Amino acid sequence: MPSKRKDEPGFSRRTFLKTVGAGGVAVGVIVPADVAEAQGTARALGPGPVPVQLNVNGRAHKLEVEPRVTLLDALRTRLDITGVKRVCDRGACGACTMMMDGKTIYSCSTLAIEAQGKTIRTVESLTQGTVLHPVQQAFCDRDGLMCGFCTPGFVMATVALLEQNPKPTAEQARKALDGNICRCGTYVRVLEAALNTSARGPRAALEGSAEGAAARERAGVGPREQGKDARRG
Amino acid sequence: MPAVAKQQQQQPPAQTPPAQPQPPAQAAPPQFPAATTARWPAPADRAHIGKSIKRLDGPDKATGRAKYTYDIIRPGMLYARLLDSPHPSARVRSIDLSAAEKLPGVRAAIALKGPDNPATSKVMYQGEEVAAVAAISEEVAQDAIRLIKVDYEVLPHLATVEQSMRPEAPLVFEKGNTREPTLQQDGDLEAGFKAAAHIVEGLYSTQVQTHTSLETHGGICEWNGENLTAWVSTQAVHATREGTARALNIPQTNVRVITDYMGGGFGSKLGGDVQVVICARLAKLANAPVKLLLDRKEEHLVTGNRPSAFAKIRAAVDANGKLLAIDAETWGTGGAGQGSNFPVPYQVYVFSSRRQRHKDVYINAGPQRAFRAPGHPQSCFVTEIVMDELADRLRLDPLELRLRNLPPEAENAQWERYFKMGAEQIGWSKRHPTGDSVTGPIKRGMGCAANRWGGSGTNRSRAACQIHPDGGVVMQVGTQDIGTGTRTLVAIVTAETMGLPIESVRAAIGDTNYPWAPGSGGSVTAPSVTSIVRVAGDAALQQLFAKVAPALKVADPSTLVARDGRVHVASDPKTGMTWKEACKLIGTDPIDAPATWQTGLSATGTSGVQFADVEVDIETGVTRVKRIVCVQDCGMIVDKLTAESQCYGGIIMGLGFALFENRILDRNTAQMVNPNMEWYLVPGMSDIPQIDVTLVDQPTRGVIGLGEPPVISTAAAVGNAVANAIGARVRTLPLTPAAVLSALERERAGGTL
Repeated sequence: MPSKRKDEPGFSRRTFLKTVGAGGVAVGVIVPADVAEAQGTARALGPGPVPVQLNVNGRAHKLEVEPRVTLLDALRTRLDITGVKRVCDRGACGACTMMMDGKTIYSCSTLAIEAQGKTIRTVESLTQGTVLHPVQQAFCDRDGLMCGFCTPGFVMATVALLEQNPKPTAEQARKALDGNICRCGTYVRVLEAALNTSARGPRAALEGSAEGAAARERAGVGPREQGKDARRG
Repeated sequence: MPAVAKQQQQQPPAQTPPAQPQPPAQAAPPQFPAATTARWPAPADRAHIGKSIKRLDGPDKATGRAKYTYDIIRPGMLYARLLDSPHPSARVRSIDLSAAEKLPGVRAAIALKGPDNPATSKVMYQGEEVAAVAAISEEVAQDAIRLIKVDYEVLPHLATVEQSMRPEAPLVFEKGNTREPTLQQDGDLEAGFKAAAHIVEGLYSTQVQTHTSLETHGGICEWNGENLTAWVSTQAVHATREGTARALNIPQTNVRVITDYMGGGFGSKLGGDVQVVICARLAKLANAPVKLLLDRKEEHLVTGNRPSAFAKIRAAVDANGKLLAIDAETWGTGGAGQGSNFPVPYQVYVFSSRRQRHKDVYINAGPQRAFRAPGHPQSCFVTEIVMDELADRLRLDPLELRLRNLPPEAENAQWERYFKMGAEQIGWSKRHPTGDSVTGPIKRGMGCAANRWGGSGTNRSRAACQIHPDGGVVMQVGTQDIGTGTRTLVAIVTAETMGLPIESVRAAIGDTNYPWAPGSGGSVTAPSVTSIVRVAGDAALQQLFAKVAPALKVADPSTLVARDGRVHVASDPKTGMTWKEACKLIGTDPIDAPATWQTGLSATGTSGVQFADVEVDIETGVTRVKRIVCVQDCGMIVDKLTAESQCYGGIIMGLGFALFENRILDRNTAQMVNPNMEWYLVPGMSDIPQIDVTLVDQPTRGVIGLGEPPVISTAAAVGNAVANAIGARVRTLPLTPAAVLSALERERAGGTL
């Protein structure tokens, strides 16, 4: 998978919870270094609501949430951006997958305050009007979804994969999607969808996006060969 | 669970092997007078039915637009959390809510247990609800929960079936820690064992599996005076209305339940759940809408599971491979006060005689609920492993032993044919005898198993179809789509009936304001819903024909048909008019046709087989399933695409049961040690083998449900394949590396085969 930032140093929800402990109702939070730097001073935040600015799907949102609120909960309960879901709530199932600065993250295990200054993309960013993103279309065509609760997370993980590696092998796709759990058992057709999207090559939407270009640059993937566009589905 | 009882009644009696107990006969369905007799169109005339049709709500789900209960935010909505018992067995002496109530942002707090009422003073399992709070945010609600003070008198508990069955065990359950055994017996057991050429004896067991629905249990409750609207994650909107109204002691007519989208249930969401009742009480007290959905740990602890199964077996076969007798002492636990029954033998193969004594054992753990094919996977695993062991004793191909002991072939008993198809696909002829002789640690093996299911329609189903003067068609039916594709099936059948494209009809489901339909359990949904939708659509169409006939100067409206967007005389497609023109003749009021049940559109009884090809590393004990071959029928296929998905899904859930899933309780504390998704392991992408599904269409039969059959045989087939690979028999599930290595160890020490 494009790395889930699980091992990224800095401020994780897990370490936060550890610090706070079981009775941590009224404990302040030290601002992550980069945020503090941006604000020119290191100071404790909370325990009450603090102003948070989030850049989600190209729009700036200002909200007030307690420092302990996750990015997922901030988006779902404060901004009504409910496409991705909370399922395991501890970074094990991928239903909450979003992209932060082009990389997938478990948004249930990312604090809203640490997402400030980053570019956040959710499943809601993919659809243009009523036109589905090629990955979404492939999920529908291949029946890569049943109850659909895990689907937005899977779609995000697949989009991230294809933005970095437009032509994954089955093994690469499996590995990239191993961070997501489906209980209905759609895996066979999710994999078909992931491979089918790339095989058919309808990735203009992916390649046209600034995020996609940046992701490919990071991943060292060059521009696509000529002639593939002819096969756009 | 009601769904279980219902299902057992729906076993096809005609195909039940004679030596085995007949299920109680189902009362003859009442015959309702029908204006018309609806039938399925002839296979050649079907525009949509039986084709691969994409699910209608795919785009809504893939874009995140679909609003699940979890996603709905009502104006002024509060968030609720529960205080769960940390103890598996305790008496609540007192609950002090005062500190929680004083926390800013808290709007309601209630005690759910207490010393005053003996019925509610005890908790019997970890996670049982003790108190609840509603507050302006989930975080505040969680803080308030921490402020509640509960004084528990901790009581003795039972964490395992072994502890409960010990004679010196403390009496934890008032009516006894185990239930009086039930006895079922048919045929002359003694004669069977006397005539035996070989006898196999062993202890077989399967684990507790939790449903692990991705959307947890719960809902949103909003009162308007005495009327309650509840958005609930449920697989039975009508049963949820009944259960909630009963628990709140209010009229059912005051309750409306809505389930537009729901994130999985698998049998655990079939009725009025306690979470919704608590949510409604909080909403009433706070005078505001309240959302209460469980967290992941609570979901594992309290919302049901598949009971464990233990079976001490003695089975006899004669020299010709005829199954003579099976004697089973079985037990298992469905947690606190719940049953755990499963039939032995699995009712596919014919044994001349059988006896089963079953005992329910209670432990202090969350109660079981119906779980996708209740009883069947356990029963299938035990029986199919015994079958392979008998075949090994006979030095007979296990497939051949199966073929010699099947009931006569019938529409709903096609195992012989399917076994041969599956064997061909997986290359069974290349299967080696038990124990792969290849050098090196990686051993390869194959196994197989059969399944059966009832899955017929429910005659209480209702629907109503409206045709509007502008040509619009709405089919209302109070079912719900739990991910199987029910919404799409409703649209397919409606469109087929009206001769319209699927996109131009509306399937109105997931609301108790629509006519009654059964809960999505027992694989009854597809047969119930497609049948009643066909009847309602047909009734509405007949009304339309009556309006159109005079305009077309046709004396007999029954000579008209609706096809390809036109209404015309059947024999002359060139006459007639477009659908829109026809509907203009309706006048101002839409046609509204209610429907009552008609028999003959659904059927009963599926057959299926599965084959597994596995690799086992005898140094690490790790099993990798390489391939599953599935041959399955479900009567008349309505949507091939979503039906195949049911098979994939069932097999994958069966792989979880075979290899990974296990609810583990600490034997000393009765605490679940893996109430999460990193240690309760469900299959992930890299665990999925090549899966080949062959769906056998039976286009001249009625519709039968398919949700359950594909989950039944996977673990049994994998279990047999593992033994075939390593030459040692693993008689327990899941087939963990530890279980495999210990079977190998026992084999070296004297034999497991």
